Amino acid sequence: MAQKSKTTGRQRARKAASKPDKVTIRKLPTGIPGLDAILGGGLPEFSFNIIAGGPGCGKTTFAHQFVFANATEQRPAIYFTILGESPIKMLRYQQQYTFFDPAMLNGAIRFINLSQVVMEKDLSAVLEAIVKEVEAANPAIVVVDSFRTALRKRAEITEMEVQFFVQQLGLHLTSWEATTFLIGEYVEAEVQENPVFTVSDGLFWLSQVTERNSVVRKLQIFKLRGQASVPGLHTFRITDDGLQTFSRTLGLSERKGRPSRRPRLSIGIPALDKLMGGGIPLGDSVIVAGASGTGKSVFGTTFIAEGLRRGERGIMAVFEERPEDVKRRAKNLGQDLEKAERQGKLKILYLRPLDLSVDESLQAILDAVKEIDAKRLVIDSLVGFEMALAPGFRTDFRESLYRMMASLTGTGVTVLNTVELDETFTEFRFSQYMVSFLSDDIIRLRYVDIAGVLRRILTVIKMRDSQHSKDIREYEITRKGVMLTDSRLNEYRALITGIPAYWKTLSAIEDPLK
Amino acid sequence: MPNISTPRFKRFARRLMIYESAAAKPAGVNNSPAFRVCEKLRQPLSRLAGVAGFRSLLSRALALANDEVRWMKAIHVRADGSLEGLDEAQAQLSETEIADGEIVLIAQLIGLLATFIGEELTLRLVQESWPDAAFDDMNH
Repeated sequence: MAQKSKTTGRQRARKAASKPDKVTIRKLPTGIPGLDAILGGGLPEFSFNIIAGGPGCGKTTFAHQFVFANATEQRPAIYFTILGESPIKMLRYQQQYTFFDPAMLNGAIRFINLSQVVMEKDLSAVLEAIVKEVEAANPAIVVVDSFRTALRKRAEITEMEVQFFVQQLGLHLTSWEATTFLIGEYVEAEVQENPVFTVSDGLFWLSQVTERNSVVRKLQIFKLRGQASVPGLHTFRITDDGLQTFSRTLGLSERKGRPSRRPRLSIGIPALDKLMGGGIPLGDSVIVAGASGTGKSVFGTTFIAEGLRRGERGIMAVFEERPEDVKRRAKNLGQDLEKAERQGKLKILYLRPLDLSVDESLQAILDAVKEIDAKRLVIDSLVGFEMALAPGFRTDFRESLYRMMASLTGTGVTVLNTVELDETFTEFRFSQYMVSFLSDDIIRLRYVDIAGVLRRILTVIKMRDSQHSKDIREYEITRKGVMLTDSRLNEYRALITGIPAYWKTLSAIEDPLK
Repeated sequence: MPNISTPRFKRFARRLMIYESAAAKPAGVNNSPAFRVCEKLRQPLSRLAGVAGFRSLLSRALALANDEVRWMKAIHVRADGSLEGLDEAQAQLSETEIADGEIVLIAQLIGLLATFIGEELTLRLVQESWPDAAFDDMNH
């Protein structure tokens, strides 16, 4: 073993000696929340990039965010506008975003209109105009918006001329140490053939997809030279703060390892803790499944309230009830969530816009967990969560949930999810999503009909890697919270069907002689 | 309802014209301060919005000024964004009439710009043409 590590060390040293020092490519912050992580740390300095996509998908805002995040008086940004959106209107709209700083205009950020040159002259004149401005201002960032209109004007421009123009432009701007963005309205089919894409170092594709009545915005990094970015389609949203991106691998890289011996968290119902073998192991994900009215949300608020009582901060992500209703219901059970919220020990997230992506919801929850250092998290409910998603995300909800649970539990927070089930009297399901595999622990609630009265029972179905009671216990929801009866319902059989019968009756049927 | 130039923008316009009146007059350039103010604004605004963009703004400002000043109808905006007709007007009107009309035109142009991009950005653009001028008190 020692010999092996010695050899490896020598090999490493030889390799290092024979290899010249690699150039360090500085990564610039994009100013777009979430995007730096997708890019692998930021945008490579001096790169020549294209922001492409259809109209209205956020290309200009993308560039503006970058410009406002990086431009300085000493190394300004030059923003060339060509025949696209009127610059006056662009300024009118862009200044509505919170990142827009009017003090940077005309100093750190300079807008120059090239429409006339494009209309009246040829590509070499356009190149000359850009070069002249760049050499005069020594910018760190150059944006050409819309670049495509510069090339679209004349039908007689050959592909070779375009290629030459783009190559020259890229060459010059890179030599002048400028990070460049060319903005253009392109369709995806052009990626393979358009020479512009060949020259670029980075290609960012923005799109908006209509799914029934919802619109979902997506970003794809087709290409990024010099560093590894996260592949695939990432959702993004445009708010008053501009673009915010949500990586499709959000949270997975930050996963903490689980210690072999974990403390257990009380759910706030001592008798249930006992059934679970002492409570919920720290960092587990729990599903509380049951029909409407079985008290799933009460279990959730009780779990949170118990944590708060013990000094553990909590997050409630609610998709069905309004936060006020959650607090009011908790108050009826003697749980003061309002005070905890005021003190910053509890955050109630109300996520219900009907066009959410899983990643966006996950980001909101992860941010909240991080912000208050939460130990407990309730998601109430997964059905409501699914309803809040844009239709396209519902189709792969199961996979998304798997990723989401892995990300959340990876932070070390203990998650309690509620799942509403359509109660049937022929099966005993745990969840319609078949996601039981992603939860560590399952508590099943259900109604039973006993002597003409609808009563509630619960049982602990699963506790990953630990012993638990298999008892089926009746429970009631009182003003003091969830109360379990002291003993099992021994006199009944087939409780989990929802239509139990007396054991005595069974005996009589099976053995009529008795 | 006519768009009346606000007293504040008129005050601003008057100040710009005073700056221009005091400045050395380039040879061969129309002596009208309003003409020279427009010329000075033409440069940064054409750079920002293009010649066509500036021309359309000035044309609109002129149309709005027409509602307040009748003789403005004699003024036109050329394709390059410069004004024509001021010389002829000057020959027929008193200095006060000319000055009042010019103030309205400049006030409308600045007011129009402020409507689109806000007063803060407008002030920054104007400041670019008169870097030594003090406009701090024009914010309020």
